[in-house]
This record gives sequence, structure tokens and C-alpha cells, in this order.
Amino acid sequence: MNKIILVVVVTFSFVFITSCYEHFPLDQDITRTQNTFLNQDSVKVEFPKIIKDKITLMAMVYTHCPDICPMTTHNMQLVQRRLPDDLKDKVKFVVISFDPNRDTPAVLKKFAEIRDITFDNWTFLTGDNQNTKEVMLKFDVKAIPADSSYDENGELSYSIIHTDRISLIDQDGRLRSNYKGSTANLDMILEDIKYLGE
Amino acid sequence: MNLLLALFMIFSNPSDKIKIVDPWMRVGAQGQATGLFFKIENNSDKADTLYKVEFEPAGLVQIHETYDAGNDMMGMREVGNIIIPAKSTVELKPGSYHVMLMKLKNDIKKGSVGNVTLFFKQAGKIMIKAEAKEMMPNQMKH
Repeated sequence: MNKIILVVVVTFSFVFITSCYEHFPLDQDITRTQNTFLNQDSVKVEFPKIIKDKITLMAMVYTHCPDICPMTTHNMQLVQRRLPDDLKDKVKFVVISFDPNRDTPAVLKKFAEIRDITFDNWTFLTGDNQNTKEVMLKFDVKAIPADSSYDENGELSYSIIHTDRISLIDQDGRLRSNYKGSTANLDMILEDIKYLGE
Repeated sequence: MNLLLALFMIFSNPSDKIKIVDPWMRVGAQGQATGLFFKIENNSDKADTLYKVEFEPAGLVQIHETYDAGNDMMGMREVGNIIIPAKSTVELKPGSYHVMLMKLKNDIKKGSVGNVTLFFKQAGKIMIKAEAKEMMPNQMKH
């Protein structure tokens, strides 16, 4: 009889533990290295140190993108608006530019403010090429300069082919899931955030 | 005054064969880029082509399409023009065809309205007004 109880307890424990881990497709520690960036107010910060103990939605974008990156940013806003009250202060939103040559802190700030984004829970980051590349590598984000043209003043304008992604990072600094950024399933993101917040 | 307005409308939209529906543009900050979206209904028996767009507050205006570049990547390319087959509708929408408004000369704030001129090979010049929004119609239910 004791053997049966032991088997049942072990089986349930195994199922419980594995189900916890299987909720997310990823479990990658991103805290082993830190990268230096400037935030939208030109304050030097280290990422991921600035998201310590927070559930974080993170996306890499460029502000000259007219379509995909605004959609991704807007999806993050929609997630923020739908957060239950008890999670509103536990979730942070981070947007990092993969086009640092054009995306200065001031440019990022304008990109946010025109969308009524406030910086209580949002941080926009830009850095030098080395730090940007390291974070792109860490999150497997690619960005390839593409079509270019000149405006009426002869100034160069270019677009970028890029990874379309929102990433979910847990309170322990572990990358847990990636979602399509521009066409994200908001219900799924919210469920995953709630799961982490339990 | 009403006569002038009527004349203006006739001049600005010489053909009711092309109808522009639900024009809107995404908000955008000065110096940055944004997108302009609308549906084009071609009620005529002939195909028509949108080949140019003018928007004074933008330093550069191009007709673009967003495309899936594979491996979770998205890209954007200039298409030059958009053909609207006879008796059909083409929609410029997020993630698809759009008019790219670049090098914005001023902020395009939510609720502001911009004057846009569309040029068609058959229908000629059509002037529209587009309101600035930050929205994705397919997700407004959220």
C-alpha cells in the first residue's frame, strides 16, 4: 500500500514539476553579461540590470520604420492596458534600437511621446554598435539595411529588414518566450505574464 | 460658395469610379517616418493604377509594401505603383501595402488631419483627408 502511495506521489510531483517548466518554450539566462545603453533621457544604464525582479516585455525596433516597429510597440501598449491591476507595477516594457546611428535618446523619446507612452514602466534604449550587436546576438535579433533613397534635400533614407519579435523575460532574468511582434497574440502574452506573476 | 465647393470636389475627384475609403495615418514624430493607409475601390470596368502620392509635411513619400522575409524577419520595399483591377478593392493596411511618409517636417499627432493627394492613371488626381491614429483596426476589440 505504501509503495502505491509513493508511486502516486512521485508521479504527481513529476507531472507538476515538468508542467511548470513546459509552460514556456525557452529558459535562457540573460543576466550573465550586461550591456551599457543610454535611455530616452540620456542616462547611462545597464541592461538587463534595469529589469531586475521585473517581468519584462522587450522588443528591438528602429524609429524610422513606418509599419512593423510601430505595430510591435503598439502591441506592447495594448498588453500594458490590459494588465490586471495587481500586475501593473510588476511588468516593465523595454524597447531597444538596432539602428543606434539614427536613434538617439531624443529621437527615441519623441517616438514614445507621440504615442502617449510614459516612462514609469517603459524604457527606450540606444547604445554604441558593439553593445547593440551583443544584445542582438543574445536575443537572436537580426537587422539588415535594405532599400535606400534620397529625399528632396539629398539626405539618405534607408529601411531595415529585421526580426519581428517581442520577448518575454521573467523576474529572474530568464528569456522565456518569443512572440511575433507586429501580429502578436495579445491573449497569449497576457496569459504568460499572468503565469509568471502568480 | 457652395458652387465653388462643388467645382472643387469635381476637380479634386473627377471620377466616382475610384473611391477612397477609411483613410488614416499612423501618428509620427518630426524627422521620423510613418504610414498612410486606405482602401481603394475601383468601380469601373478598367483597371487603374495608383502611381504617386503627395503629402506636404513629408520630405519623401513612397508607395511601399511590407513583406515576410522569412526566419521571423519582416522587410519593406518600394513598389512604385499599385494596380487596382476593374471592379475590385485593394486595401493599403498595416503589414501590407502602405504609403510611406518619411522625413516628417512636423509631428503628426493623434487626431490631426492631413491633406493627401493621390494620383491615378485613369481617375487622375484625388484629394483626401486622413486622420492620424495609433491603432490597428484588427485589434481594436481588445
